Amino acid sequence: MSLVSTDTMKPGPSMLARLVARQELALLLCLILVIAFFSFTAENFFSVRNITNVLGQASLALTAGIGCAIVFMSGEVDISIGSLLATIALPLIIIMNDTNSLVLGIGGALLFGLIIGVVNGYLTAYAGINSLIVTLGTMFIMRGGVYLYTGQRAIPDDAALDSFIALSDGRLFNIIPYSAVIAIVLLAVFAYMMQHRPFGRQIYAVGGNPEVARLAGYDVRRVKFICFIISALLATVAGIILAARVGSAQHTAGLNFEFQVVAATVLGGVSLAGGIGSLTGMALGVLILQFLSNGLRGLGLPTEWQLVITGMIIIAAVAFDEAKRRRAIGG
Amino acid sequence: MSVDFLHPGETVAIDKSVPALEMRGIGKRFPGVVALDNVDLTLEPGKIHALMGENGAGKSTLIKIMAGVYGKDAGTVRLRGREADIKSPRDSLKEGIKVVFQEIALIAEFSVAENIFLEGYPTGKGGSIDWKKIRADAAALFKRIGFNVDPAARTGSLPVSQQQMVEIARALAHEARVVVMDEPTSSLTPNEVSLLFTVIRRLAALGIAVLYVSHKLDEVFEIADTVTVLRDGRHVSTRPIGEHTNDTLIQDMIGRRIENLFPRKRGAPGSKVALSVEGLSTAKKLKDVSFEAHAGEVLGFFGLMGAGRTELAKAIVGYDPITSGTIAVDGSRLLPHDTHTGVRLGIGLLTEDRKSEGLMGELPVYQNASLASLSAFARMGFVDKASERKAVQDYVDRFRIRTPSLFQQVKNLSGGNQQKVLISRWLMRGLKVIVVDEPTRGIDVGAKSEIFALIDRLAGEGLAVVMMTSEMPELLGLADRIAVICEGRLTAIMPRDKATQENILNAAIG
Repeated sequence: MSLVSTDTMKPGPSMLARLVARQELALLLCLILVIAFFSFTAENFFSVRNITNVLGQASLALTAGIGCAIVFMSGEVDISIGSLLATIALPLIIIMNDTNSLVLGIGGALLFGLIIGVVNGYLTAYAGINSLIVTLGTMFIMRGGVYLYTGQRAIPDDAALDSFIALSDGRLFNIIPYSAVIAIVLLAVFAYMMQHRPFGRQIYAVGGNPEVARLAGYDVRRVKFICFIISALLATVAGIILAARVGSAQHTAGLNFEFQVVAATVLGGVSLAGGIGSLTGMALGVLILQFLSNGLRGLGLPTEWQLVITGMIIIAAVAFDEAKRRRAIGG
Repeated sequence: MSVDFLHPGETVAIDKSVPALEMRGIGKRFPGVVALDNVDLTLEPGKIHALMGENGAGKSTLIKIMAGVYGKDAGTVRLRGREADIKSPRDSLKEGIKVVFQEIALIAEFSVAENIFLEGYPTGKGGSIDWKKIRADAAALFKRIGFNVDPAARTGSLPVSQQQMVEIARALAHEARVVVMDEPTSSLTPNEVSLLFTVIRRLAALGIAVLYVSHKLDEVFEIADTVTVLRDGRHVSTRPIGEHTNDTLIQDMIGRRIENLFPRKRGAPGSKVALSVEGLSTAKKLKDVSFEAHAGEVLGFFGLMGAGRTELAKAIVGYDPITSGTIAVDGSRLLPHDTHTGVRLGIGLLTEDRKSEGLMGELPVYQNASLASLSAFARMGFVDKASERKAVQDYVDRFRIRTPSLFQQVKNLSGGNQQKVLISRWLMRGLKVIVVDEPTRGIDVGAKSEIFALIDRLAGEGLAVVMMTSEMPELLGLADRIAVICEGRLTAIMPRDKATQENILNAAIG
């Protein structure tokens, strides 16, 4: 039996990182193809203005998608994020109208988001209820609650603070929307966490095999609990940006948002079964769908067609992934 | 105070006067089963202690209590003289107790190197993971142990033997005081086993207490200083290995002498032909096989690996297609590739692969047992639960199937009891011929003799038993006649009293 010598080992990132990198490369190619296709076919598509606009539009899904992907990676799901988007606008707008303070408003919104994250996380991780059921429940409760409070009317942002409105139309160097800057910074921070911080690896381990993670000394329930809190807080950030754009709190805000995010996350190669995928993949998934939707609109295709095409793309992408995985196992 | 296998230079000498781990009066019960009752175990630093016992003796439960996977119901655990309260795997790991479990406990998607440091990632400035150190340390660790595993490989892509080596290496990557290995050699080659033994001896030399769990006598005699034997959840003996012989160890493990492994109670076989096979050939393996099996007889088929035993078993019960030949059960022709008719005519297969071809592990005992006879319990298209359970209870009593209740998931039963559930399934259907393929695979010594007794009884009740086996003692101990196959051909068929190990093996080699 020969000894392993260090010089036969390939340096560089771990096997996982390399695998993921390949998947991300495929997604990046898709994104470039989508952009190239519409640049030739749709008018006014390939311009700084349009592309930064799309980035701004994508920023909500990018921000909330981080949390969605992290919860997926831990082996759970969170579909309450769309309702949370609408709900946190209530404390945000009400506090700002009363106090004229952006900091207090955001603080109130984050506190509310934290509470929802704790509830989702506690019921899933500690009470042991299936996360799809828990977050489906909180999704309905929050949507109904907002409707009960606002009725048919929206609660307008009477304070109209400049700093708050800047969240919707402000641009860094007059080019990149602030919302996109926030999303990119958060993405970078959490992507680093997932690859280089012990807690990030614990999330992968817990999602990959909870029993093994427990034997390695991890507190599986705590890890999942924290993932739900992260998800709720990131959805809150997305909700604050949305409220700035809409300029009010209303019960229809963020309707079906959770499914757009889930779709993009799955397209980005994050497995619902847990333990597989990356935030970069999720981000590419969001951008592909966003550019697609923007481009199709540019071609004059009605929204209904965008839905149909999005649905087909998601099934095709996951089927392709599954086929690839089977081949890898079989070979 | 502890030993770091990776950096032995930094080791502080271990105090060898105090036991590394002392378990006293450990008790543990699961619903309906007492798994451990007043068990003691003391592990001394620098000593290799073997833990032996049959499946179900309580070895795994004891280890899992040590590892913090299960809580204990009674008793105390002392670590280096101090009482310890181990509530979770984390507590156990912190105390330096490293367990290599029998089932692979690795994250398939992670690299080998990452799996080795799963328990605690080396971190650099600001608490970020030092990937460089992880890869370098993993490579250094494998080099020190002499295992040939690529630290950069994706763990799930490795063969099981290499994954087992990763598990072993992982136990040594962090500071350890007690290393527990549960059947670590089950998928290693002899070469790798000897490497493992070198590692274990080195661990002991460093002052680590090693607990080596195995049922392989030769391994235990080679490596252990002391042996503790458990049986039925109780402590039987703890002795220096020098005081044991093969026989005394087996006796401690099964609680009786091994001679009565093959109790013969049935009378002589009858002359009525229950199964006749003529000129049977299959596309892949079998060539022109002809034989008859009589009611009340055990017909043993012997063959080496790949001789075609399992293929023959599957063909004659109508599971696999055949290219030529005829099969008749009790005079009625069985057309091939039709198990439905096979079962109706009264021939059934007791598979060698209980897990994937026999049992539905998640389902309760009674549903597994009644599966083939549901129509017998049906009333107007619905299964009459009361009569179904009563019938199953009869078999549980008759065969002494050890299960807390009929509702226990069958996967929680021991291998021997699972086999009895499967036999019940076929007998309930009313069989004339039962084909058993490696009936004692994965079943331990004590339960084996129960299965043998059961086969003896089946023949005694008038069934024709066709037994496929690769175990010579089983063949000689049970069969009335012995048939030998080699490369798909029948090369000999002889009565038991004419058979010797030599002429059987000669026929098997062809």
